[in-house]
Amino acid sequence: MRRFEEYNPVSVALYFASVTGIAMFCLNPILLVLSLLGSLSLFFLRNGRREGRSHLAYLGLFLVLSLVNPLVSHNGVTVLFVINDSPITAEALAYGVAAAGMVISVLYWFRSFTQIMTAERLLYLFGKLSPRLALVLSMGLRYVTLFQAQARRVRQTQTALGLYKEDNILDHMRGSLRVWSVMVTWALENGIVTADSMAARGYGIGKRSHFSRFTFGRGDWILLVITAFLFMMTCVSAGMGALDVMFYPSVRMAPRTPVAWVGYASYGILVLLPIMMEGVVKIKWKSFVSKI
Amino acid sequence: MLTIPSQKARSFLRWLIPLVLIPLTVILGAVVFDEKRHLWISFAVALLAVILFLTGFERRAVGSRRMVLVSVMIAFCVIGRLIPFFKPVAALTVLTAVYLGGETGFMVGALSALLSNFYFGQGPWTAFQMLAWGLIGLLAGILSKPLQSRRLALLFYGVGSGVFYSLVMDVWTVISYHGHFHAGLYLGAVVTALPYTVLYALSNFIFLWFLGRPFGEKFGRIKRKYGI
Repeated sequence: MRRFEEYNPVSVALYFASVTGIAMFCLNPILLVLSLLGSLSLFFLRNGRREGRSHLAYLGLFLVLSLVNPLVSHNGVTVLFVINDSPITAEALAYGVAAAGMVISVLYWFRSFTQIMTAERLLYLFGKLSPRLALVLSMGLRYVTLFQAQARRVRQTQTALGLYKEDNILDHMRGSLRVWSVMVTWALENGIVTADSMAARGYGIGKRSHFSRFTFGRGDWILLVITAFLFMMTCVSAGMGALDVMFYPSVRMAPRTPVAWVGYASYGILVLLPIMMEGVVKIKWKSFVSKI
Repeated sequence: MLTIPSQKARSFLRWLIPLVLIPLTVILGAVVFDEKRHLWISFAVALLAVILFLTGFERRAVGSRRMVLVSVMIAFCVIGRLIPFFKPVAALTVLTAVYLGGETGFMVGALSALLSNFYFGQGPWTAFQMLAWGLIGLLAGILSKPLQSRRLALLFYGVGSGVFYSLVMDVWTVISYHGHFHAGLYLGAVVTALPYTVLYALSNFIFLWFLGRPFGEKFGRIKRKYGI
């Protein structure tokens, strides 16, 4: 067993697609609690106490999103109180809380997604879909750092020539514009030269091969198959109507039949997968360290 | 990626996706999902529209010069997005589209959204940003003649595209939260997003004001010098 992020990007991307897909599709409270717990614990497991402040912003977003729905939607039979002749209902509030929980859990899944799926991994995925697109993106990514370095060089040269004083705002702006202008001209010409050089070396003649350090081994297959299986089981359960929830006119959940339990269990295991992997690897690491 | 050799089949596909597949997705979505899950439908539509152009880009033998220029402009957009508050992404997309054509503009807009989100965080909203900026570029390419000759038209287009971008992203906000489109919520989202709308429009105006003419000269020079 490896760390979750060390698996092949194809398996990891499929995992994130299934787990967020189900969370966005079903407004079922049990699934949402599972999704919320899973996304939060994965994020905390990977980051610990770092990013402490940002969680407050997400909590605030959760509160705002929960309260928006009862203010605009007045469906539902249980009236809590009346503001300006419009009733605030418990059902609308419940819907708001569920929707807010969904949004927050998806946001946390994507925070982990952004951390795990680095540019290199995403480019590997795009390269499988379209080599030309992956080339454009990876060249763009390289140009970002190249241009920043070049802009620094141009600025230093201009400063050394005495053309650029940073103590005056107007002068600073004029200088920045000049650097920008130099950069654009240089970058466009540099791009054309690069393209010509590529053409001279035979770009576009044969099939493109590209380097990647990812292999697709047995473990990646296992993760892929388990993910697909659990996703299918949850989908079948949802498709049979076992996970349905009605918010209006009153909150009603479908009866908890064995089919529904299969759905909940599948999604629960799906959510637990990365947490389990990270946990096992951490315990292994600790035990190795203690043996030294 | 699959290449389709026949010119006819390619142009057929270019009409099939926007005229048949996208409406079909919307109608099927409305019928099968009982209008409950517009999130998925709009997500699929946004993705289909983006894929349409990307496959066109892949299939056609786009010159490698044009391809590298797209990467260069994407890099400028990504660096520009690091500027606090005033983001030149839409302005740069418009300028690229005006001088290098609508399809290039679409590529620059859509891929800038994708690439800059490597830094800012990917999510379901990426598809909508790609679509919004891509369409801004595409339309600017179609209107390139008046936008090139009249500065006022260019500035006006910049302001309009800022508002357009904000309105599209508000649709995404409402749909992601509510599951389907809700007029009241949309109005609320538009009103709360008003400062951002003004900021987008203003920054497009400022950047097009300062960069419009110099960029035109530089693109013109490159075109003359290398014969693109």
